[in-house]
Amino acid sequence: MSPAGKGLLLAAWIAAVAALGWFVERNLVVGTDLRLFMPSPRTAQERLVLEEIGEGPASRMLLLAISGADPQAAAETSSALVAALRGSGEFRWVANGAGDLDAIPDRLLVYRYLLSPTLDEARFDASFLEAQLGERLRDLASPAAGFLEPWLPRDPTLELLKLAESWQPAAQPQLLFDVWFDTAGRQALLVAETRAAGFDPQGQGAAARTLQRAFEEVRTDPGLRLEASGPGAFSVLMKERTQGEARQLGTVATVGMVVLLLVAYRSVPVLVLGLLPLASAGLAGLAAVSMVFGTVHGITLAFGFTLIGVAQDYPMHLFSHQHRGLDPRDNARALWPTLATGVASTCVAYLAFLFSGVRGLAQLSVFTVVGLAVAGLTTRYLLPPLVPARGRDAAASALLGRCWDRIAGLPRPPWLGLVVALLCAGVLWLSPRPLWQDELGGLTPVPRALIERDSALRHELGAPDVRYLLVIQGSDAQSVLASEAALGPQLDALVADGSLAGFDHAARYLPTKEQQARRQARLPEPQALQESLAAAVRATPFRPGVFAPFLDEVEQARHLPPLAPEDLVGTPLEARVGGLLLQRDGHWTGLVTLTGLKDPAALERLAASTSGATLLDLKQASEDLVAHQRERILWCLAGSAVLLVLVVFVALRDFARVRRVLAPMALTTLVVLGMLHAAGVSLNLFHLIALVLAAGLGLDYALFFERAADDPAEQRRTLHAVLVCSLSTLMVFALLALSSLPVLRSIGVTVAAGVVSNFVLALLLTRPPGAARHGD
Amino acid sequence: MTAAVALTSIAAHAADLDTDALLARLARPAPDTTTFVEVRYSALLAQPLVASGALEHRQDGSLVRQVTDPYRETTTLRGENVRVEREGSSPRSFSLERAPELRGMLASFGALLKGDREMLERHFDVAARGTDSRWQIELSPRDAKLKRRLAAIRVDGSRDRARCFTMTEPDGDASVMALGVQGREGLPGSLERESLQAWCAEGTER
Repeated sequence: MSPAGKGLLLAAWIAAVAALGWFVERNLVVGTDLRLFMPSPRTAQERLVLEEIGEGPASRMLLLAISGADPQAAAETSSALVAALRGSGEFRWVANGAGDLDAIPDRLLVYRYLLSPTLDEARFDASFLEAQLGERLRDLASPAAGFLEPWLPRDPTLELLKLAESWQPAAQPQLLFDVWFDTAGRQALLVAETRAAGFDPQGQGAAARTLQRAFEEVRTDPGLRLEASGPGAFSVLMKERTQGEARQLGTVATVGMVVLLLVAYRSVPVLVLGLLPLASAGLAGLAAVSMVFGTVHGITLAFGFTLIGVAQDYPMHLFSHQHRGLDPRDNARALWPTLATGVASTCVAYLAFLFSGVRGLAQLSVFTVVGLAVAGLTTRYLLPPLVPARGRDAAASALLGRCWDRIAGLPRPPWLGLVVALLCAGVLWLSPRPLWQDELGGLTPVPRALIERDSALRHELGAPDVRYLLVIQGSDAQSVLASEAALGPQLDALVADGSLAGFDHAARYLPTKEQQARRQARLPEPQALQESLAAAVRATPFRPGVFAPFLDEVEQARHLPPLAPEDLVGTPLEARVGGLLLQRDGHWTGLVTLTGLKDPAALERLAASTSGATLLDLKQASEDLVAHQRERILWCLAGSAVLLVLVVFVALRDFARVRRVLAPMALTTLVVLGMLHAAGVSLNLFHLIALVLAAGLGLDYALFFERAADDPAEQRRTLHAVLVCSLSTLMVFALLALSSLPVLRSIGVTVAAGVVSNFVLALLLTRPPGAARHGD
Repeated sequence: MTAAVALTSIAAHAADLDTDALLARLARPAPDTTTFVEVRYSALLAQPLVASGALEHRQDGSLVRQVTDPYRETTTLRGENVRVEREGSSPRSFSLERAPELRGMLASFGALLKGDREMLERHFDVAARGTDSRWQIELSPRDAKLKRRLAAIRVDGSRDRARCFTMTEPDGDASVMALGVQGREGLPGSLERESLQAWCAEGTER
């Protein structure tokens, strides 16, 4: 090809890559909801679990602590922060213990006789009213007079105060300056529920920023600090740490890679050309995912680029086999059958994830298959015309020659593979420890100190348990509320006997319409009430007539339509009830959150004896989900292993060759599994992904070694290529293995170990037995 | 009207009262217990309410108001919290934040018990009149939030004893707490506000 033609091709290629980049930039929406990487639910129960894990009130709850200056400043800031966050839109509700009687709108105030349980037992007759007025006299003579007195004319039974008290959490922290404080009295405590789901790091990140900004604006003392804890805060923290560390490691890896390629090929053009197939692969993969799925998950992106890192090897094979006198196009043509077998079989392996039932993994599958195919095809058809025809011949290296001879001289007992396989299988089989880690939290573990801090705050605030949740399902809101109301006394009994510290459900705030109507029916007629009240007042020093507003409001209450969930819009109760009573595809779900649960079995029995009620153990249920998911992925992988063998068989058409090519990667998988298990590592989804990557690399190494079986010059060139490939991969993943984050570490350790094992085993096992003598 | 007359007569020879010396004489180290009778006037009531009992100022700085007649009730004011426990009903807790007038009362009470003029002046404008044997301290809140709930506190006394604490609210409601008095019998026969106020200002030795 003429220099002009080359220039044109290069320009066209770069333009195509840029166009893809532009398309991706325009269309790609990066999602961050971690549930995309959780299994798709198959049963109603599983769906409930997944919904609760990400969206339940416990997962949205942030526990806040303000400390660092004198308590009064902390209390003032706490109240100002509540006001600021209520107006922000990022939070469904915020509470700091301040009884805000004044915040309840008048529209809701008149409902007090329908919402309060007083009328279930009492009647507003003369004797009840007289007793109540007697109490009010004592209230007036007590230090509480100042704040009670203004309410008395309209509410002589203090119904509103009873309601406000019953709406407070069961186990309330102490109040200082009218807001919640910890036992030591040093930190003002608050609870906030975000609108964003707990496992939506993006939404949680926005909420965290709003929170911090609001805090800095309202704090009354510069010494004050704000601490936030809870699933949402943790997901933000872990996302930032993962990104930060991945960026750091990525930078180091890139520098290392450039140095390695310069040492190996001593040519800047080769270095630049080597990046083109990978860049094309990444962008083509992204474009495909955004066309098929619309959005791409952040994790897909991170893992995807890790997985298609194998595509970096493709141009290296081409470069390492290039030498003077060989047209790069002939070189590519000669290498293609081997390269194509590697690409095709790796793609087939990744196809397995398309059927895993996990959306994030399906994205990963599309991304890698498209990316690898593009990398393979560009290496075959676009790269060769651009590669300088000269170049150093790796076969001329005396060092490589000695290396090869040394390796060829190593004893290769045929029983070696069998022994290694049996040893690893034995370790896996005989160990009593479980092989897998089923805990969802194990994927992104939160530092121990933060967990302890969280549980301390949770204890102080009496915040609900994050593991257990009682769920009530019904066809409409009223039936759910009725079930909850019916459960109330039994839950109270559990609180009384200490199995439970407290509970919360929608019916605590909003009784059923039927119950409201019952209470309404017990409100006396105006004439009767007036007479009873007059009789009661006569027996006290109260002035006649001061309770006229009370008479008015009772009369109003007698004609109110019962309050339904939708009537709460715009009131402080909207958020409370909305978080606990949800409408989901045609049915209603009521959540009973539990605080300080000591005896789950007692609640299990309670749930079993109540129709429509289930005690969700989110930990157990999510572990079951993960186990189901893994089983499904393993079946997919088994299927893809069969396909992979078929592809290799079709390409090589020789049983002995197929066996030699597949032996290193199969053995490596066993070796890495055995090694990880022996080191006490429990395997998770990310180990599986990493194992598939390692297997793909091993297959490539073996294919190339096997191809070079006879020719000494080709053997050296292959050794050079595989050395560069495996060293670069090893470097990148060894860096990841140093990470402090379990996700990155598990991938790094697995792939790094896989690369070493694959390289060694491919060298030892892929050449036919005769080749060793030939090489001597 | 009697009160107004009494006031003018006191004001006439007020020049010689030494406030610092008076505050020093009033100081009472904790623990200290004194009996009281409190009379509360409210627009809601045709007749004032009377409760009597004992006030205890404890070593830890908390104040306990124990009503023994006509019913039993204990109020504990500790730090920022107020807890009212009454026989036959469930206890009620609230914070001083909800009852600014109580915070004001406590601040004045605490400052007087300690003889701490600085603390007193942090919360109130202080005006004292009268003579050593018959004096009156008028406290007007400085803080706007407190002003909305508390118009003034007047302390009447003679020599080294405070006799009455009178809290007046902006809406005209008031409460008079007579100290060192044993039950209702210790007060004058009429509990009309003017008569009681005059009785407080009288300053007769008891």
